Amino acid sequence: MKPAPFRYAAPDSLTAALELVADEDARPLAGGQSLVPLLNFRLARPGLLVDLNPVTELVGIEVREGTLCLGAMTRQAALLRSDVVAAGWPLLRDAVRHVGHAAIRNRGTVGGSVAHADPAAELPVALTALDARFRIRSVHGERVLSSDQLFCGALTTALQTGELLVEIEVPPVPAGARMAFAEHSRTHGDFASAGVAVVHAPGERAAVALLGAGPVPVRVPAAERALLGGAPAAEVAGLAAAGVEHDHRRAVIRTLIVRALERIQ
Amino acid sequence: MKISVTINGTVYEDEVEARTLLSDFIRHQAGLTGTHVGCEHGVCGACTVQLDGEPIRSCLMLAVQAHGRSLRTVEGLAGSDGALSPLQRAFTEQHALQCGFCTAGFLMAAEALLRARGGAVSEAEVREALAGNLCRCTGYEGIVAAVLSVAEAPLDAG
Amino acid sequence: MSGSGLIGAPLTRREDDRILRGETRYLDDITPSGALHAAFVRSPHAHAAITAVRVPADAAGVVAVLTAADLPAVAARYPVMEPRDSEVRAGEAHPVLAEGEVRYAGQPVAIVLAPSRALAEDGVELVDVEYEVREPVLAVRDSDLVMMGWSARRGDVAAAFAAAAHVVSGSYALPRLIAAPMEARGAIAEHDAAADVLTVWCSAQDTHRPLAQLAHILARPEHSVRVIVPDVGGAFGSKGVVAPEVAAVAAAALALGVPVKWTEDRLENLVGAYQGRGIEGDLELALDPEGRMLGLRARLWADLGGYLLTTTTVPPHTAGTLITGCYDIPAAEVQVRGVRTHRVPTGPYRGAGRPDAAYMIESLVDAAARATGIDRVTLRRRNLIRRFPYRTATGLEYDSGDFERCLDLALGLTGAPAGPRADTAGPAAGAVRGRGVAVFIERAGGAWETAEIALTPGGRFRVSSSSSPHGQGHDITFAQIAADRLRVPVDAVALRFGDSALTPAGVGTFGSRSVAQGGSAVALAADELVARARERVASLTGCDPAAVGHGAEGFSAGERTLSWAALAETVAEAAGAGGDPEPLEATARFQSANVFSSGAYVANVSIDGATGELSVERLAAVDDAGTVINPLLVHGQVLGGAVQALGECLTEEAIYDDAGQLRTGSFLDYSLLTAAEIPPIITGEVQTPSPLNPLGAKGAGEAGAVGTLAAVANAVTDALGGRVVAPPFTAEKLWRALGEGPAGSPPGPPVETTALPHTPSAATARRVRVLVRRGAPALALGLALGALAARGRR
Repeated sequence: MKPAPFRYAAPDSLTAALELVADEDARPLAGGQSLVPLLNFRLARPGLLVDLNPVTELVGIEVREGTLCLGAMTRQAALLRSDVVAAGWPLLRDAVRHVGHAAIRNRGTVGGSVAHADPAAELPVALTALDARFRIRSVHGERVLSSDQLFCGALTTALQTGELLVEIEVPPVPAGARMAFAEHSRTHGDFASAGVAVVHAPGERAAVALLGAGPVPVRVPAAERALLGGAPAAEVAGLAAAGVEHDHRRAVIRTLIVRALERIQ
Repeated sequence: MKISVTINGTVYEDEVEARTLLSDFIRHQAGLTGTHVGCEHGVCGACTVQLDGEPIRSCLMLAVQAHGRSLRTVEGLAGSDGALSPLQRAFTEQHALQCGFCTAGFLMAAEALLRARGGAVSEAEVREALAGNLCRCTGYEGIVAAVLSVAEAPLDAG
Repeated sequence: MSGSGLIGAPLTRREDDRILRGETRYLDDITPSGALHAAFVRSPHAHAAITAVRVPADAAGVVAVLTAADLPAVAARYPVMEPRDSEVRAGEAHPVLAEGEVRYAGQPVAIVLAPSRALAEDGVELVDVEYEVREPVLAVRDSDLVMMGWSARRGDVAAAFAAAAHVVSGSYALPRLIAAPMEARGAIAEHDAAADVLTVWCSAQDTHRPLAQLAHILARPEHSVRVIVPDVGGAFGSKGVVAPEVAAVAAAALALGVPVKWTEDRLENLVGAYQGRGIEGDLELALDPEGRMLGLRARLWADLGGYLLTTTTVPPHTAGTLITGCYDIPAAEVQVRGVRTHRVPTGPYRGAGRPDAAYMIESLVDAAARATGIDRVTLRRRNLIRRFPYRTATGLEYDSGDFERCLDLALGLTGAPAGPRADTAGPAAGAVRGRGVAVFIERAGGAWETAEIALTPGGRFRVSSSSSPHGQGHDITFAQIAADRLRVPVDAVALRFGDSALTPAGVGTFGSRSVAQGGSAVALAADELVARARERVASLTGCDPAAVGHGAEGFSAGERTLSWAALAETVAEAAGAGGDPEPLEATARFQSANVFSSGAYVANVSIDGATGELSVERLAAVDDAGTVINPLLVHGQVLGGAVQALGECLTEEAIYDDAGQLRTGSFLDYSLLTAAEIPPIITGEVQTPSPLNPLGAKGAGEAGAVGTLAAVANAVTDALGGRVVAPPFTAEKLWRALGEGPAGSPPGPPVETTALPHTPSAATARRVRVLVRRGAPALALGLALGALAARGRR
């Protein structure tokens, strides 16, 4: 389990990184907690690995005009420890707690988890529930995508060759909003087979996003309307899970929604 | 390419390929074989070392990425006088190891946890923090007991 | 017997110190200079003929690519064990490298040698093997190729069933499991051409079996092979047979004249190391109106995989012989068919047939309790064996035991009985609870081991044992035994293990036998040394040997006292004076029939009614391992075995697809339990000494793995109202079983479909892990998908 040979570059600026990833054969390396296993299994075989770790301008957690701005190379451990995140977007803290283990979170990045788009990953689902927007840059310019524009399928995003996810913007949530993340996995820190992210600001806003209901994070507007309308948890859960094809997963998601809603009542 | 990595206070300089894993550099180039490799895909935690004081999987980092950085491995846990640390001693007293292959990873994860928490950890926190390390021999009970036995103020010991 | 209180003392281990400092030497920590590193070309198919192997003329960095035809040193396939009274097709023995066909995905086809492992892996990708793919046989009952058959019969079974008031039947199945020691396998081979000695450093359970296997395969006299077992990072049965890759490494070292090293990686270990369990059975039990067992019929089918490795035949035979469990059953008819499938071979994994037998008979006894309406504990008490020695219908002789005491103690450790009931209060609304009881017996010990002991200067002792450790703690345990006999401090005794050139011959470390056999050999050698020392003292003092006393101070003869150190000095003085030094040494070989450990386990479980998720809430484990030398280490063995079995109950299963490809080829898929999933385990002990060895010892290495599975399985069945589900007890399986209601009742409403769904979303969700788990074939298959997978990875 040794990687196939590759060339390696460690740019120290975003500009330099963007030039390097414009190469058709290049792959960016963020925290490496998903890519390096694939390299070791020789399932990923980039010609050029562009290490984003020295690009310090991609690291940071800050609030700009009420919006939480997460640099793509922000470590998951930093997200977990952030007071700003805990105060305003606790859903992210609750979700990232489920990502792997401490040693994984110390290297794994927020942007890496998003760009990797594993259907079993927690952060994309939490960010989807929070209406996050994803800032993408290339040498040709910049575009900003919503969650449903970014996630195209399992391990597949709208990112084109030469594009890097540089920042994730999470809009403010109404004061008094409550939020919860719940998941089902076989062992602690394992990928989730099912999960839910729920945000609720009574009378203002409701979001229900699912993990394991499809290849990408799924929002369920019917459940959100019911939640906003004050429906009981069981009804919201039933609506949220209704579209889940696999019967056992449907039952698990229904249960997780009920549990998540109990936590935020 | 040539890299320079400080491990347990000693500087190691050597040529590596871009694809050389940090775990292989530590073991086969720096010669510090106390760090073990159990899965090379980041699940078992046997290769856990501390990078600037925080636990990481050395099989999921390239050696070139450690250039200029400071690492600590199991060989760096005993005191300068050679005495085992209280955590290491607790591992023996609580029979926290059998074959010993996973032990270095558990020690590096547990030491970082205790240091980060100022020694105050609950059993649930210990179990969660150690869930990233697999042991096939002990059933974990001795390991959890060993870590709790050196915690300053176990919150729910037992 | 013990003047020093060392037997039964919970002493900590001495080998821990260097482990904790990182100063150990496992296989991969050793690299002879000039060594070539090996990687293997493996079959991507479960079943195929090899029509061509093409090696590129110019493979950068590769020193050699060798196939079976290029290894003249390989003279034979694997030696195969034939358990007593069995019929074995030895012609199905595993070849070292594939010989014209492959019978499992992952089978080694060619060895690639290069200056580094990475370059060797590069080389593997350049070798082009042409296959003619054939249909694999995967279901054991579909296979008509029986590689091992065994049967036993005692009493009039037909009459027992004809006379029965109740006949209860059950069908049970255990999946294949992967031993997954944290250190995978590996070896280094180096040939000293001048002396013609092949030295093999091998991550193995002992030196003797690798040595015998390699000598057979390479047709070399045993004295021309030296096996050194360095520190070993766990085995659990999986390192008792050398890997075919190890034999290839040895043959390559002989062919090339340079040292060759192979460190198995995790992918290779999951795909290519022999697996455990993989057995199913149909059982029938005849009982009289009071629930007395009259007769048992059992038919077992074992999935042996594509070939026979040396001990592939052993676990199903062990399961067959132990199928009557702890019960006095006068008539029994047992048949075992070990069949060929197109999967990697099976072999011993912790318990090796014992958990299989306990799971099946204990499940059947619970079924009998439900069918007869007799309380399950009462039913067990009514049928337990109480007279020893006891000869079973399958031909075993149980040496001793007190099954009822174990049962009583275990019941007392689990608190109030909790039958199945719907709990509608609180957050665990809809939880269903169950309790499972199991008694079990396990074959332990047996055959022989050797120990050598020598008095060394300063009154210290060197003990060389044929029994060698891979985590169990032989060092302190054997030191305790020797020191107890010698009446010296435990630190005066140093142990030596694991080098066939330096340590005596024996059988090996497996089957819970080290203390009973190896420890007894140490005890006898120490006794012999004391006897010789007594004679020496007698001759030095002119006193009758019978009058020489032996105690903590050494030896006393009349007024005179001679310490062990003084005796050692007399040896040194004699040597210095040019006389015959007559070192004080002794050797003992100890052999006995099997001893039988036993125990009783009780598990309390709950199943989340909404999701099917199983929680083992409490496990009580009572073991009777005979006389215990070191309770700290026995406790560690029991816990470790129990947690492996909990993994078997909750997550572990080697899953294959319809093409015979392993779907669990990574630790993301083959999921081991972590510290966060372990329930409280309360242990208790009964010590019924074995009459068959001087220590009274039995074995504890497998106990936890034997009792836990049976107890948890019965608890799950109890919670499900009698419905039997095969392990592992995944949330999905239990959720479906809950939806179907209790056994015998019509299906209930919550389940919409019983077909195993495989929705597109589920399929894609698992894609990356499918890639990973495909193992060797993924290297070919995965390229296109791998590129896709890499796209989004940052």
